[in-house]
Amino acid sequence: MLGSASLAALVLAYTAISNAHVFRPEVVPPAQEIAVAFTELVVGTRPPPVTEDQQHAAHHHHHSSDHVGTLLQQGVTLQASLAITAARVLFGLLVGAPLGILLGILMGWSRRADDYLHPMYVLLRSVPPLALITYVMLWLGHGEAHRLIPIVYAVAATMVIPAYHGARDVAFTYLVAARALGAPRWLLIRKVLVPAASPAILGGFRYAVAIAWMTAVGAEMLMSENGMGNLIVGGGLWASRSQTKADPAVVMVGILALAAAGWAMDALARSAAARLTRWAR
Amino acid sequence: MSSPAGAPIRLEAVDLGYTYAGATPTRALENLSLAVRDTEFLAVLGPVGCGKTTLLRILAGFLRPTTGSVRRDGAAVEGTSLQIGYVFQEDAVFPWMTVRDNVEFGLVARGADPAARRAVSDELIGLIGLSAFVSAYPKDLSAGMSKMVEVARVLATDPSILLLDEPFGALDAQTRARMQDELARLWERRRKTVVFVTHDAEEAIYLADRIVVLSSRPGRVRADFPVQLPRPRSQEARFSADFSALKRRVWEALG
Amino acid sequence: MNGAAPALRTRATRAVLSLGVMAVVYGLAAEAGRGRLPDRVWLGTHYVENVQLLPPYRSLAEEGTFLVESGILTGSIAVSAGRVLLGFVLGAAAGILVGLWTGRRARAEYLAGPWVTFLQFTPALALLPLYVLWFGYGEISKVLLIATNVAVVALLGAHQGVRSVPRVYLDAASALGAGERLTFRKIVLPAALPHIFASLRIALGLAWVTIVVAELIDAQMPSLGYLLTLAGAYPRVPTMVIGIGTIGALVLAFDLLAMSLHVRATRWMRRAA
Repeated sequence: MLGSASLAALVLAYTAISNAHVFRPEVVPPAQEIAVAFTELVVGTRPPPVTEDQQHAAHHHHHSSDHVGTLLQQGVTLQASLAITAARVLFGLLVGAPLGILLGILMGWSRRADDYLHPMYVLLRSVPPLALITYVMLWLGHGEAHRLIPIVYAVAATMVIPAYHGARDVAFTYLVAARALGAPRWLLIRKVLVPAASPAILGGFRYAVAIAWMTAVGAEMLMSENGMGNLIVGGGLWASRSQTKADPAVVMVGILALAAAGWAMDALARSAAARLTRWAR
Repeated sequence: MSSPAGAPIRLEAVDLGYTYAGATPTRALENLSLAVRDTEFLAVLGPVGCGKTTLLRILAGFLRPTTGSVRRDGAAVEGTSLQIGYVFQEDAVFPWMTVRDNVEFGLVARGADPAARRAVSDELIGLIGLSAFVSAYPKDLSAGMSKMVEVARVLATDPSILLLDEPFGALDAQTRARMQDELARLWERRRKTVVFVTHDAEEAIYLADRIVVLSSRPGRVRADFPVQLPRPRSQEARFSADFSALKRRVWEALG
Repeated sequence: MNGAAPALRTRATRAVLSLGVMAVVYGLAAEAGRGRLPDRVWLGTHYVENVQLLPPYRSLAEEGTFLVESGILTGSIAVSAGRVLLGFVLGAAAGILVGLWTGRRARAEYLAGPWVTFLQFTPALALLPLYVLWFGYGEISKVLLIATNVAVVALLGAHQGVRSVPRVYLDAASALGAGERLTFRKIVLPAALPHIFASLRIALGLAWVTIVVAELIDAQMPSLGYLLTLAGAYPRVPTMVIGIGTIGALVLAFDLLAMSLHVRATRWMRRAA
């Protein structure tokens, strides 16, 4: 696939440019530093300094708070952070998706429910979930809830529209036909409505996955001591940004790891969707 | 009157074969040979799925045959040609353009100036009876009107060969009869070479000089006979004895 | 499912009714909650007493008047909305152009593919620290973040739009003798427009989500995000509620505008498209 060739070329080009002293290393970290940061964050410790250069570096790090050091001190590793963020994402998806789908199907099924609920839905979904978090925090304090609620909320809000359109537009024709055949309501829902609406819903689900990741990372960046968002901003360094500088190599590692995880989850969602809607081909 | 036997051959398919690639390759056409003479109205008739659309698309130059050859005016077919006008089975009028813009599109492609385009589109739109709708969008037209706009669009560049793929399939019986008459009228006035694909035997007999019957997939020629009903043909002709005899012949050929 | 669609008036009445009920319920809850709701808030290092978590309409009105008269609210709106607009326009232009290009040329898709996929799966906000490193705290990093997110969505929309032009229109154009440029201008672009507009609507919503978080993180007055953060620090609840409401109203307004533009630009499209 030409794609991977292009990717490989990208990596090579980056290594070349970052080492060519065209940009300041604080801005465009050399590829090796990214690799080093990656290893350190995965292993969880720094290798003891051996060469003189490394001893200088270690000395320098000791005297000014540095990104990786702070993180390692807190016992943060890359895989643990990724797992934590992924867990939040999954929670948000598992709780938020059914809520959103149910609401969407209800609105798509009953015109009356639609008329009453749709305006409320439009208002609520207009508020970005992370804006709500500042308010929600007052109610619930600084626990896990205030990080999870925006994710659940964002996923639910995202899933309403695909479910709504799936039920209303697509399923309608089939429902009319099935009704004419005298099918009881329960059967209608299970065997007609849900399958007919599922292509739209599964398509929307992929988008909800992306939204869930974004919200989770955002929530972590704002107020969490763990997870990828926290890793990228250096464990509370934002609060004291005048004192310390975020290490661009760590930021890069974080971004790459998130991109990889996001892509993996989307690929999973995509194949699950394909398998579940084989009939729709 | 059908074209004289000595009229030049406009389109020719020799031992045509076409296979659709895919998980299970489908042989759509097999050893199909066919010749279309100048100014004749040829109907290609066959059951659903017999490959008649495929044949038409190959004649038009949209598809390359897998085996065999296809020629236009003696030369090998390489893609579409300005000599050929193609009317699709599906709705092919551009929905974002008005009726006039649709009809003028081929002329725009040719670089004709606005005045010349206008003259042609006025005439054609008048011919199909839609002068009141020049600035309407396709969404405001019925399916029959829409299809006639497509025919007008194709006629605007005055191609000498017309290929039509079941153009009236989506219409109700009344509209369809009307459209058939319109098409016959247009053909009489402009003397084009027409290849008309359909699965409706009556339509084929009503319109054509000659009928070619294809077998079901893979399609090959099963029968090829002239239609010697007098022209111009009226709806009355559908009830004549000759018409019924031809229908029987077609039925037998279809098997 | 119900049979014939009820009249527009019935539907409008129901909408007004449900919103009205919501408003009334809030008002009642705010009044009733005065004595009942918890009023102690933990702010990370200490408790604050006597916080009214559901401010009644009275205090919302007072606070609102103050915010508007002092120019705080209007200034924040101008700044935040301005960033959204700028980021949106830049991102949409870039994304649409690149998307049209990759939709047309398979080679372009190969080249740009990995970049786009990478950006697509990087959670939008994760790029913020990177931009801050490159461009410092300030306008550029925020606007650029919005532009990046918008561009990715717009790109995918334009790409999909070009790819999903029905074959029959392309064949018809080719049969009529249209060359590549004419086909692109008069066939591909108009056919792709509904898709592009749909993706721009989504991108607009995404732009707002992005700016809110960016402003929450990188707090500088005046901006709506910072208004929320600041209000949260006291906490000054009426301001928070008003701030959240304002953001919601702005998002809604922008979305309605985008939708009406979409409808106007695809006037021709009322058939099954």
